[in-house]
Amino acid sequence: MKMALRHVFVLLVCAFAVFPILFVVSAAINPMGTLASTDLLPTGASLGNVADLLTSDTYPFARWFFNSVFIALVSSFAALLLSMFAAYAFSRMRFAGRRVGMLALLLIQMFPQFLAIVTIFMIFTEVTELYPAFGFNTVWGLLLLYLGGALGVNTWLMKGFLDTVPKELDEAATMDGATHAQIFWRVIMPLVTPILAVTALLAFIGTMSEFLMANVFLRDPESKTLAVGMYGMIAGDHRNANFGMFASATLITAIPTVGVFLWLQKYIVSGLTAGAVKG
Amino acid sequence: MAVDVREAARAQGPGRPRREITTAFVVSRIAVLAVAAAILLYAVPPLIAAGSWVPLGVLAAASAAIAYLYLTRRFVAAKYLIPGTVFLLAFQVFPVVYTVTTAFTNFGDGHRGDKAAAVEAIQTGSVRQAPGSPEYTMTAALRGEELVFLLVDPATKQVSLGSAEGLSRLDGARLGATGKVLSAPGVSVLTAPQAAARGQEISALAVPTAGGLIKANGLSRAVEGKATLVYDAACDCVRGNGDTWTADESQGYFVNARGEHLAQGWQVNVGLDNFLRVLTNPTISGYFAGVLGWNLVFALASVLGCFALGMSAALALHHPRMRGTRVYRIVLILPYAMPAFAMLLVWRDMFNRDFGLINQLLGTEIDWLGGTMTARFGVILVNLWLGFPYMFLVTTGALQAIPRELTEAAAIDGATPWRAFRRVTLPLLLVALTPLLISAFAFNFNNYNAIALTTEGGPFPADSPQVGGTDLLITYTFRLAFGAGGAQFGFAAAISVFIFAIVAVISAVAFRRSRKQEEIYA
Amino acid sequence: MRMRALGVATLATLAFAATACGSSQSASPAASSAPASGSASAPAAGGTLVIWADPMRVKPLQPFAEQFGTENGVTVEVKEISKDNQMTFLTASQQGSGPDVMIGAHDWIGNLVQNGAIDPVTLTEEQKAAFSAKAIQAVTFNGQIYGAPYAVENIALIRNTDLAPDAPASIEEMLDKGKELKKAGKVKEVLCIPVGQKGDAFHVYPIFASGGGALFGTTPAGDPDPKQVLLGSEESVKAFGKLKDLGEKGDGALRTSLTNENYIVNFAGGKCAYLVSGPWAISEVKKGGVTYDISAVPSFKDGKPATPFVGVQSFFVASKGKNKALAQEFVANYVTNKDVAKALYEADPRPPALTAALQEVQAADPDAAKFMEAGKEGMPMPAIPEMAAIWEPFGIAETAVVKGGDPAEAAAAAQKAIDGSLKN
Repeated sequence: MKMALRHVFVLLVCAFAVFPILFVVSAAINPMGTLASTDLLPTGASLGNVADLLTSDTYPFARWFFNSVFIALVSSFAALLLSMFAAYAFSRMRFAGRRVGMLALLLIQMFPQFLAIVTIFMIFTEVTELYPAFGFNTVWGLLLLYLGGALGVNTWLMKGFLDTVPKELDEAATMDGATHAQIFWRVIMPLVTPILAVTALLAFIGTMSEFLMANVFLRDPESKTLAVGMYGMIAGDHRNANFGMFASATLITAIPTVGVFLWLQKYIVSGLTAGAVKG
Repeated sequence: MAVDVREAARAQGPGRPRREITTAFVVSRIAVLAVAAAILLYAVPPLIAAGSWVPLGVLAAASAAIAYLYLTRRFVAAKYLIPGTVFLLAFQVFPVVYTVTTAFTNFGDGHRGDKAAAVEAIQTGSVRQAPGSPEYTMTAALRGEELVFLLVDPATKQVSLGSAEGLSRLDGARLGATGKVLSAPGVSVLTAPQAAARGQEISALAVPTAGGLIKANGLSRAVEGKATLVYDAACDCVRGNGDTWTADESQGYFVNARGEHLAQGWQVNVGLDNFLRVLTNPTISGYFAGVLGWNLVFALASVLGCFALGMSAALALHHPRMRGTRVYRIVLILPYAMPAFAMLLVWRDMFNRDFGLINQLLGTEIDWLGGTMTARFGVILVNLWLGFPYMFLVTTGALQAIPRELTEAAAIDGATPWRAFRRVTLPLLLVALTPLLISAFAFNFNNYNAIALTTEGGPFPADSPQVGGTDLLITYTFRLAFGAGGAQFGFAAAISVFIFAIVAVISAVAFRRSRKQEEIYA
Repeated sequence: MRMRALGVATLATLAFAATACGSSQSASPAASSAPASGSASAPAAGGTLVIWADPMRVKPLQPFAEQFGTENGVTVEVKEISKDNQMTFLTASQQGSGPDVMIGAHDWIGNLVQNGAIDPVTLTEEQKAAFSAKAIQAVTFNGQIYGAPYAVENIALIRNTDLAPDAPASIEEMLDKGKELKKAGKVKEVLCIPVGQKGDAFHVYPIFASGGGALFGTTPAGDPDPKQVLLGSEESVKAFGKLKDLGEKGDGALRTSLTNENYIVNFAGGKCAYLVSGPWAISEVKKGGVTYDISAVPSFKDGKPATPFVGVQSFFVASKGKNKALAQEFVANYVTNKDVAKALYEADPRPPALTAALQEVQAADPDAAKFMEAGKEGMPMPAIPEMAAIWEPFGIAETAVVKGGDPAEAAAAAQKAIDGSLKN
């Protein structure tokens, strides 16, 4: 394919990706910010909404931001580790129940999660009584809960990638007397950085936007995550009055994700510069 | 790295049948034991304090199993699987299993608790203030160790002492400005914090009188009231107001002779009723085929559209001489970085006929979300926007695993880029991504938010307000389960089971096909 | 082996760190905020009172919660729930981790009662008299008072006094003026009232009622009777016919493109002379710099009165709360005071339910009293659980006729859908 064609195509897709966001930007810098303004170009430009947001008494936005980033970083790191372990076992080892386990992992995600909240209350009411440090109103309880989804589809993604790493590598290492743990940490992990980075990013984004569980877990205004706090901003009758702030918040929410992506990007495309997987 | 390992291994001496016990080995085992011990130390005392012996046993067994697992050299796969699986079982499998069990009950609004709770709620709710009785100012006090109420009639300032035995006159009490008792002979008056600390005792104390019971209302007032509905265990019924409601264990309600029931019910097993309701509900069966058809189209179009667009973008950027890839990539993941619920609302308003951005830019006057076909197109477009960055990301990642030599070899063999893509790149990508595609299909099949936050299932034909043009199975069935008179969790759980069965069957078939693929290519 | 050990050691450290941080409650961002949220960090001797509120009301309640805590030697925690408050409260209560006091709208009462989630609140005659009669009527269910009201809200007609100086005497008069202004190019819309693709029963109800429509019949006691759904009745069909006349094929006053997101901002931007909305619209209207006045939603000439729904925000005592005596004390004897009502008003200007608070607020802000006046004839939103079955079919029928559909058909379909779901 000609280089120019590639650019044209990617630019078109970028335009598609960006155009609704421009609309949000317009609402964010529009003093009468609203979901309903018909214009892509704002009627006035100011950072008033951003300033309102950051100084708001009702909405401790900076804390939400910090909470979200903290929870998303910790939970995506832990999820990454857990799913990588599982993917390694599924890809490299042969054991009874492997196929069934993998299929079950895929299928369990398909059950409508809508009703799980009742059970979550059941479990964590007990936990709160026995171990308040991991109960409702704590970040740690929420993190534990998030780890329930750690395996999920990420395991499949990594397993698929691991399958493409030649088995001869492990065999050679085994011949040399390396344990499975050494192979995992020192042979496999360095080779799969692209998919580790992708999975980390996916887990990070997933946690950043989760609000069903966070809503019932974090009940102090200062302990909320961005998604929950922002949902509260437009809940009920106040959605109009706050929309300018809400639009600003939406944009700011994207910043940590973009930051994490910038940081991980070099790992994601490392395969390009390093060439193919080498033995 | 690889070289590193070999050197390290060689240093230990290759080809030994059993590895020697190294410091690292010992340290790691100690660490495992330490973790197990720490968990036990943390988790056990509260369980003992609460007397929860069964969980304690489970915990001990689990700790022992884990300690053994990581100390032995066997069960290598389990060592890697257990950490994630523990959480999976607790927070995904258990909720699913529990949900399925509720499908056999009438669990829902009006039937959340057990019968005892319903009886209590009925009796508490029926307490009426005795007509003409004083609204006492109440002061909690102790007579010896016994909690008593000092009750002041605000009209006469007469002080009485109320205890579980009854009401008696009390003379010589000193009253404060608020009408509360400051001191009285024979009793010690509780201060506000002391009274608050005994809140539960205060709530529990009932002073019997001729007309009913005097109970505290908060910490400073008490009223004489009488329950107008009373449960009688002998007949398993509730009597009062000249009527009798008998417990009906098949419905979980107290029902009277006219077939009316009291509002508060309890949870009972209803067997397969919920499943039969799903099958026989005229709204569900009448529209099922049409909705399923659209649901499949929606899920497939979302997945394939996202995959096609995301993969194309990833492929376009996957070239060593491509410039500006960093910037492009950032722009392309932006839709995924924005909070989805916010963007769904933004899209909905962009589709507005008179005020929306889309009609304004196109110069049209289409009622996008008001017509079935345009609304369907709209929700798929929105879903495409939300979902393609995910596919872009995973394809970008997966592409790194495809050795460039393979595509280069194909090019050298004279294959056109398209052929090389079809024969080499796509099959290898699919090996890694098919499970993701299947899972994305399942996700979109039940993508409640994508519909609920944009069209809410609409547009609705004038003659059927129950099923709209963009309704998915999950949105229209859950509307039935959560629409009238509150949430019917049992019914919703039965619906979930059916929907799960549909998705699982489709997915399992697709999975079998991908398994064959894997055997070919992997 | 080094790497393995390192990995395990890392895990162990993490686990210890997690445990340590968790119990000390200091290292995590959320946990460390506990003191900042207004509750004393050391639990007081008398126990803890937990209150759940929506985001708008947490801040204004905190000083009062603290004061109550100090007076009674207890810790009071005000917690915030952002979404699905009623459902979350019910589920949490049932499982035993709910609050002691819940804040919500009075039309939850029916459902909360059938779940045994709240207890009646005993108010003295004197306390009852201090509230507006509408408020007490709204929180009364099955003859019992189930909540302490603090704010009353209903919709009214807000007009741009530059464009329409006089309050219209009838819907017809309002339409004439609106159409005249639209013709003159002074406004874009005849009337700003949300309809959307799924209708908006709450906002259109006064017009529907004025056209003769009704939702429920009444029981002998005067409560709405869920056994008589009247949406398909002849009178209601006529009322739907009137909505059709107002709709897109008729006067263009009701339009599906006006939604909850844009109807207020259109008015605030001067694009329509009339707005049907509630107290929550005022802050935005002021921001738009529109001069306005508030009057009751007018009725049709020779029509029935245009009765708006009245909603009453209330405090509830949770049945399964751990500290019921405290909760009763707080709800029945503490938040029924004027200062609490005023503080809540200042955070979110909805007319206070306490007459004395309303009078004080009125001096500074006449809008509150005008809204109250507009809702004088209003109907408390039915609190019966069956009401949940009405909203959606009603809204869809509204949209159908607004788009030009046949009123009889739409009303019959709505009736059928409601009957079907109530039977189930």
